[in-house]
Amino acid sequence: MRIGIPRALLYYRYGRFWERFLTELGSEVVLSRKTDEELVQNGLVCVPSEVCLPIKIVAGHLLQLMNEVDAIFFPRLNWLGDKLFACPKMIGIVDIARMLLNKNVRLIAPTINGDLFRAHFAAGLQINPNPVKVWAAWQKTKGELSRKVAGDDVVSFDSSQPAITYPTVAVIGHFYNIGDEFVSRAIISTFKQNGYRILTKEDLPDSVLAKANGFSRNIRWVYQRELFNSFEYFLGKVDGFCVVVSMGCGPDSLVAEFMRERAQKQGVPFLLLVIDEHTGEAGLVTRVEAFIELLRRRQKRLQS
Amino acid sequence: MRVTFPYFGYDTLALKGFLEDLGAEVVLPPPTSRRTVELGVKFSPELICMPFKITLGNFIEATELGADTLLMAAGARKCRFGYYHYLQEIALKVAGRKFNLVPVTQYSATDFIFRLMPSLFNVSPIRVSRAVYLLLAKSALTRDFRRMLNRKRALDFTATEQLVKPALRVIAETRTLSEIKRAHQTLKAMFNLNGDKPQLRVGLVGEIFFTIDQFANQEIEKKLGQLGVEVIFERCLYNHLRHLLRIDFGYLRSRRLARPYLQECPGGEAIRTVGEAAKFIRRGVDGIVHVFPFTCMPENIAFEALQRLCELNRVPLLSLSFDEHTAPTGLVTRLEAFVELLRRRQCGRRISGN
Repeated sequence: MRIGIPRALLYYRYGRFWERFLTELGSEVVLSRKTDEELVQNGLVCVPSEVCLPIKIVAGHLLQLMNEVDAIFFPRLNWLGDKLFACPKMIGIVDIARMLLNKNVRLIAPTINGDLFRAHFAAGLQINPNPVKVWAAWQKTKGELSRKVAGDDVVSFDSSQPAITYPTVAVIGHFYNIGDEFVSRAIISTFKQNGYRILTKEDLPDSVLAKANGFSRNIRWVYQRELFNSFEYFLGKVDGFCVVVSMGCGPDSLVAEFMRERAQKQGVPFLLLVIDEHTGEAGLVTRVEAFIELLRRRQKRLQS
Repeated sequence: MRVTFPYFGYDTLALKGFLEDLGAEVVLPPPTSRRTVELGVKFSPELICMPFKITLGNFIEATELGADTLLMAAGARKCRFGYYHYLQEIALKVAGRKFNLVPVTQYSATDFIFRLMPSLFNVSPIRVSRAVYLLLAKSALTRDFRRMLNRKRALDFTATEQLVKPALRVIAETRTLSEIKRAHQTLKAMFNLNGDKPQLRVGLVGEIFFTIDQFANQEIEKKLGQLGVEVIFERCLYNHLRHLLRIDFGYLRSRRLARPYLQECPGGEAIRTVGEAAKFIRRGVDGIVHVFPFTCMPENIAFEALQRLCELNRVPLLSLSFDEHTAPTGLVTRLEAFVELLRRRQCGRRISGN
């Protein structure tokens, strides 16, 4: 059986594991191609006009896979850990996907209710009816769960001391935005070209991301809590923050505001980039360059 | 202590009565106006949804009138609504107000009755339970009022508009259970419906604040009534309270009806929106009107499901997203076009004979 995985949303967190797990079950895994302009244009006509960019992108990926595979693997993340919810759109996109595919393709969409094993076991049984084999496949591949797709530029970050050897910027954003080159290339490459080291939340260990103390305890969205935790962790350790938010992302519009308030209190440079499918690369580069200019002047002022 | 809370449509009266039952001095903010929204927008983050801006504006105006204790409801935290009070605290500080913001967490009735209200107003839980019971009765009264009003508007618009003020006075004056019962009779006599039915009926579904608050939805019920359409609805404070007290059986039905379209609750009221729309369609409405604030997450998912639902049942759907830039004229034009469509469909059905 040819099973397609859309290269979007949760793929950037669990993709490596999914590929191995499905292959282990004896199916052929097909990834959708990397996000490009055409894919986004196809996707955005199929979803409500007000949803955020990642949802539009995933719709494009689903449409591309639709004609190429027998089944699409697209789990629904409902909640994780201590009843920390995914955002409403991430929960609802599976229902939209089901309506979009309209029974043309089988949709394998297990619901993750806090337990990754149970969801994947149920999905595995749909592909391979032998429970022993599914269990064996899970045992064999579960190590991959900790390997993240996003953040190919992982630097070992020593948590004991602020490692400011050369200027560092923390790019705070969801893995599905930062990991998707189509979305983040302009931002990341501009920082890199100007000699900045980039840290993202994917560089941090889970123990930091899943912390539940201080204000982050109040945030009940799983990935927004990660964003906020990583922000708090980086605060005071980096030269500036670049927060990437997709237009229409509800939770981020709040959490970014909490972050902005804290950054302003500490006097740390803070750039909020709101992106959608109309965002031109040139515009982004200009804004990032202006921000870099600001960082440099600040550096000089601090040194003198 | 001068207590205030944001406007909530006609149910403001019921909530005000509830707080007065607990012995609080209530300062209502001035009715929501353009100024309210502008004040709210000024101190809000850019991308936040509309109810936040309106309620923040309400609070700012209420503090101008001397309110110091602000009550803000907080939800289940799947949707942004659960976090409003954190941001509102920041925003009100920026606006330079002195206040004490009390988040009223929903979804635990026992906590509300036994801890929060007694500690806030220094009353016994028994008194709170009695007040809650009265609140239920009174919100049922406002619901019936809204129902009668919507039907009467569609039949005789100008005469009805003169009835609104006296009717609201009747509701505001009720204090006890027997008075509420009498008010039911008074209102019935006032509206004098005699079982007349308007030609067209539409079902109103969507986000709770926008279906209930007349200012937020720019008096969509009134505008539709003027066009001779009765608006039926199910979302009101009464049903919401019953939901919070876990005695709302309509919700189970909504969930069952919504299941083919939405399998998992994406938070907020998405399931209810779809379920209620399915219910209305079974009751034979001529169209569905869906209202929600711009960039509302759950309603956007519900929108997609509604589209599918209405397509399968061949019922026209009008989806309206509101923000501070929504112009009244544009709204009227869209409503007129929609009603025109409904009329034509009805004529067509009559001619073809089914």
